[in-house]
Amino acid sequence: MKKVSLIVLSIMFLGLMITPLAIAEKAEDNYKLYCFQCHGSKGSGGGINAAALSTAPRDHTSATEMKKLSDKDIFTAIKEGGAAVSKSTFMPPWKSILTDDEIKDMVKHLHKLCNC
Amino acid sequence: MKSLKILISLIVFALFLSVGISNSIADEKDGKAIVDSKKCGSCHKMQGPPDKTIADVLKRKAPDLFYAGSKFKTEWLEKFLQKPTIIRPAGTVYLNNIKMGDKKDEIGDVKPCASNVSAKEAHEVTEYLMTLKEPTMKTGVIVDESFSKAKAKVLFGQKEGCSGCHRDKADSGGTSCPTLYNAGERLNPDWVFDFLKNPQKYDPKIWMPRRELSDEDFMLLAKFLASLK
Ligand code: HEC
Ligand code: HEC
Ligand code: HEC
Repeated sequence: MKKVSLIVLSIMFLGLMITPLAIAEKAEDNYKLYCFQCHGSKGSGGGINAAALSTAPRDHTSATEMKKLSDKDIFTAIKEGGAAVSKSTFMPPWKSILTDDEIKDMVKHLHKLCNC
Repeated sequence: MKSLKILISLIVFALFLSVGISNSIADEKDGKAIVDSKKCGSCHKMQGPPDKTIADVLKRKAPDLFYAGSKFKTEWLEKFLQKPTIIRPAGTVYLNNIKMGDKKDEIGDVKPCASNVSAKEAHEVTEYLMTLKEPTMKTGVIVDESFSKAKAKVLFGQKEGCSGCHRDKADSGGTSCPTLYNAGERLNPDWVFDFLKNPQKYDPKIWMPRRELSDEDFMLLAKFLASLK
């Protein structure tokens, strides 16, 4: 009896250890929930908030536009917001929601969107 | 003679007070029973913790109510429950309500809250909801109403880009989030201050990133929103 409960307990403990504290989300899912609102479902800048922005959201599908930016710039723009790269403050800083690893995945995801 | 009078008036006062208190406790209990029988919990989370994954957020049908007593103003809540209006132009989770277009996304059909209660029930439900508090929130933070409107508008509309997601007027501002043009009637300014300091404390996956501002600036924004009626 005792042995069984010990085994059950240690399995429960292991389970707890394996569950990560914050679950890293897939870049696609982060992009949907956080970026669609301005950059749009196609990534081309047609989000439902776009009309309220004094600067148009970057067209993430445009290779010519996106090629102008280095990965480091893109990373900083997402993490610290537009103001950190001398762009519009309507591009918010995402570091309170996305981890550095999630932002790195996001940079890769943007390369897929612009095919560049 | 005089002391007897004082004693009697004290007793009367105490009786009066206790009837008042037990009345509101009775309302609270009735309010909870109404919330249960009307199944408010089938759409709203009435108990924490908040959703921790995007998958769970996408299943959300209505805003969380387990800190309603910290968030709302009593008078607004009582009115709203009798005749709900639309607060979020694109629904609770905008992502679930957009028609995705090639060039532009459009907002699809959005329904208001399904609450449909009588004036008496609304009073009782409000008494109950007002007991649901966020324990870490400081009260008595926003005490006076004086602030620089010009400075606040620059923060809201330009420097911090709040208007990109929120409407501060009925016809201008973003639509993915709650409208704020009647925030002064709806929201407790102390809660607004606490929320702005860390939206992720209330809702880890909410699509409003935290801005790093001084307490002074957060207070300015909270006072500005409190003035929108
Ligand atoms: C509130 C609206 C809004 C949201 C939400 C938003 N953006 Fe932006 N974003 C903008 C605007 C506006 C610009 C254009 C800035 C400029 O050109 O000055 C921009 C520009 C960018 C740029 C280009 C930056 C540069 O240096 O030119 C990248 C990359 C970007 N956004 C990524 C994202 C990602 C990733 C998300 C989601 C995590 C996101 N944005 C969410 C509004 C938004
Ligand atoms: C069918 C689902 C549904 C039911 C049942 C329902 N609600 Fe709602 N409720 C909603 C939705 C959706 C919203 C968001 C409306 C908006 O933002 O425009 C909402 C909004 C609210 C709000 C405002 C919340 C906020 O943060 O803005 C309160 C308060 C509320 N409901 C209370 C209640 C109460 C009390 C009941 C039960 C008597 C109830 N609701 C039943 C769907 C529901
Ligand atoms: C990228 C979009 C976005 C930006 C930018 C943004 N918010 Fe929000 N805001 C949201 C979302 C999403 C919510 C929560 C929605 C919900 O509760 O359903 C929210 C909630 C709020 C609330 C609580 C309202 C309520 O009824 O729940 C206040 C107050 C608020 N924001 C103020 C601000 C201020 C001030 C700024 C600028 C510093 C700002 N927001 C910038 C998206 C945004």
